[in-house]
Amino acid sequence: MRRRLVCSAAATLVVVLAAAGCGGGSSASSDGKIKLSIGLFSDFGYDNLIKEYQASHQNIEIEQRKVKMEQHHTQLATQLAGGRGAADIVAIEEGNIAQFRASKDKFVNLADFGAKDLKSQWAAWKWNQGTTDNGDFVLGLGTDMGSLGVCYRRDLFEAAGLPTDRAEVAKLWPTWADYAKVSDQFTQKTPNVKFVDTARNVYKAILDQTEEGYFAKADDAFIADKNDKVKQAFDQAAELGTKKQTAALEPFSQDWNVALKQGSFATTTCPAWSLALIKAGAGDAAAGKWDVTTAPGGGGNWGGSFLAVPKQGAHAKEAYELAKFLTSPESQKRIFKETGNLPSQPQVYKDTEVTATTNEYFNKAPVGQIFGTSADSLKPTYRGSKDSKVTPVFNTALQRVEQGKQPAAEAYAQALKEAQDAVK
Amino acid sequence: MTVTRDRAEAAAPAVASAAPRHQNRLARWDGKYTPYLIIAPFFVVFGIFGLYPLLFTAWVSLHEWHLVDGDQGFLGLGNYTELLSDSKFWNALGNTISLFVLSTVPQLLAALGLAALLDRGLRARAFWRAGVLLPNVISVAAVALVFAQLYGRDFGIVNHLLGLVGVSPIDWRAETWASHLAISSMVMWRWTGYNALLYLAAMQSVPKDMYESAMLDGASRWRTFWSITVPSIRPTIMFTVVTSTIFGLQLFAEPQLFDPGGTALGTGGSDRQFQTLVMYLYEKGFRLFDAGYSAAIAWMLFLLIAVIAVLNFRLTRRIASKG
Repeated sequence: MRRRLVCSAAATLVVVLAAAGCGGGSSASSDGKIKLSIGLFSDFGYDNLIKEYQASHQNIEIEQRKVKMEQHHTQLATQLAGGRGAADIVAIEEGNIAQFRASKDKFVNLADFGAKDLKSQWAAWKWNQGTTDNGDFVLGLGTDMGSLGVCYRRDLFEAAGLPTDRAEVAKLWPTWADYAKVSDQFTQKTPNVKFVDTARNVYKAILDQTEEGYFAKADDAFIADKNDKVKQAFDQAAELGTKKQTAALEPFSQDWNVALKQGSFATTTCPAWSLALIKAGAGDAAAGKWDVTTAPGGGGNWGGSFLAVPKQGAHAKEAYELAKFLTSPESQKRIFKETGNLPSQPQVYKDTEVTATTNEYFNKAPVGQIFGTSADSLKPTYRGSKDSKVTPVFNTALQRVEQGKQPAAEAYAQALKEAQDAVK
Repeated sequence: MTVTRDRAEAAAPAVASAAPRHQNRLARWDGKYTPYLIIAPFFVVFGIFGLYPLLFTAWVSLHEWHLVDGDQGFLGLGNYTELLSDSKFWNALGNTISLFVLSTVPQLLAALGLAALLDRGLRARAFWRAGVLLPNVISVAAVALVFAQLYGRDFGIVNHLLGLVGVSPIDWRAETWASHLAISSMVMWRWTGYNALLYLAAMQSVPKDMYESAMLDGASRWRTFWSITVPSIRPTIMFTVVTSTIFGLQLFAEPQLFDPGGTALGTGGSDRQFQTLVMYLYEKGFRLFDAGYSAAIAWMLFLLIAVIAVLNFRLTRRIASKG
């Protein structure tokens, strides 16, 4: 008798719980708003724009999800694989876009919504990076671009008897070989300070100035073993490491921040978006000590992203509209003013308001002009679909050289072998 | 048996009413099936989150499987044969075992000593006992972050302290032995207290009269510890050895976060000098998207742990029967 009572009580409880469960489900979907999520990394400067978009589109609610850049891309890959969990709009960085281009069937072709009509907004190379199938498949709309300059410490240059004016510093290093010579001079005068933060970024900057890197533009074949440019870039960067002129730091890591604060290196390759990172790392005490000038070898591009729409989302059309709004010239201009992220659209980066912009922290450097001028003539290096697998292998090889674990030639040979394994 | 009994019941004269018979049967079912019903949730959950992934991983490991694009064709044991001739796999296995030995042996010895201290009549006993568990409560990411700074090459405290006694700065991430020591210290810091508490619990159930009679016989503290305490808590020691082995061979978070490349780019140092098996699995599966190969590594790891667990079990039984 007692037992039967317990049973029926339990049964009642189950029914009640189930009813409650149902009730919860139906009330959540009853407010009628379309919820869009947008997956980002670092600072895209979208906060204000999103607020405005929500105000003008009452039926849309937007949620930003931010993670660290590398994690963002790994996570995205697993979400695409699992068929769920990805945001309605996802940002994809330039170094990773080729890899996702290869999985384009997981994404919405934005051309279906008329994205091709927007083509003329962007610098041609930026638009092309975001498309595939000879431009028929629009994978992503371009956000910012990196461009490339070199940041240097004025006080450390002065101590080493080098010029400090940015135009004269630019004259010191028309080529990377000249840059290495300046490094020698600098090290001779001030042996306790490293000339550059890491060999890795010098390598990247040199390699990104060539049209082809690890993969052939024509057929995406692995050509690092035949491409002399790769070896040259590696050797030039490795030499700095062998001579112990690099601080051997992991870029943008905690140690890198500490080194910035301690002033333990004098130059670093700097795309537009890294100015904010340097400022944050070096802190207010170093205001005016850092400056920006042009990079050896004639500019280049590092970074910049795209907004893409994964197929698994329920609101592709609305997502596209939002992505279009966030990447529009008006939005890009505002983002530049608010965060310094460089626009990827000629009509914006040539806008007098943009070119006249200076950066107070970097000794009032005319950043709009320095970063904007090279964008027009830019020939971005071709990124193969397996670029993001090969790059780290060469980076760790340079690290081994910097750590004195291996001579450059040996490190390069090992990297080449590992790269061949990675693309197999 | 049941059938005949049921029949006998049915054949019995209709003196007993239908209701008690019904209750009887219920009670029997209750006794028979309720225990299974109560443990069923565990097996259902295990089936979904344990067994199914295990079998699915086995299935994936037999294929060329791209993480995003899925199945690319059946390979049979192809992934496994490749794995056995993969120097990076053996390197990772070596690192895993080295890190396991370096962290587990001193850890368990330290835990034993710590437990012996805690077992004595200390003041504020609860405080000390809770204190040793504290490192275990802190998130591993936070621990790794702090240790990574302590072991910083240029501005780390450890190098600073070593500098005071004239040791030149060590690049803790570059050298194999240095990185293994640093990571082991992280693991030890996290788990020593936890194991000490397990030992302490076991020590408290050792009958006190054994110590008294040993003292009467004039045995030293050291002698009583090794001849009475340690043998008495042997089952617990074996338990911690087994669990530490399982955890140790799956070491991932500490070394991965010790690499400045972090979870996204870290491969355990510039020459994989501290890349463990699980880190290699993660690199292959989630960065190079080779899920099939990654699954094969997972299964090799599983087999390795299973073999070591069986060895441990045998050893435990032998020692227990000797005792």
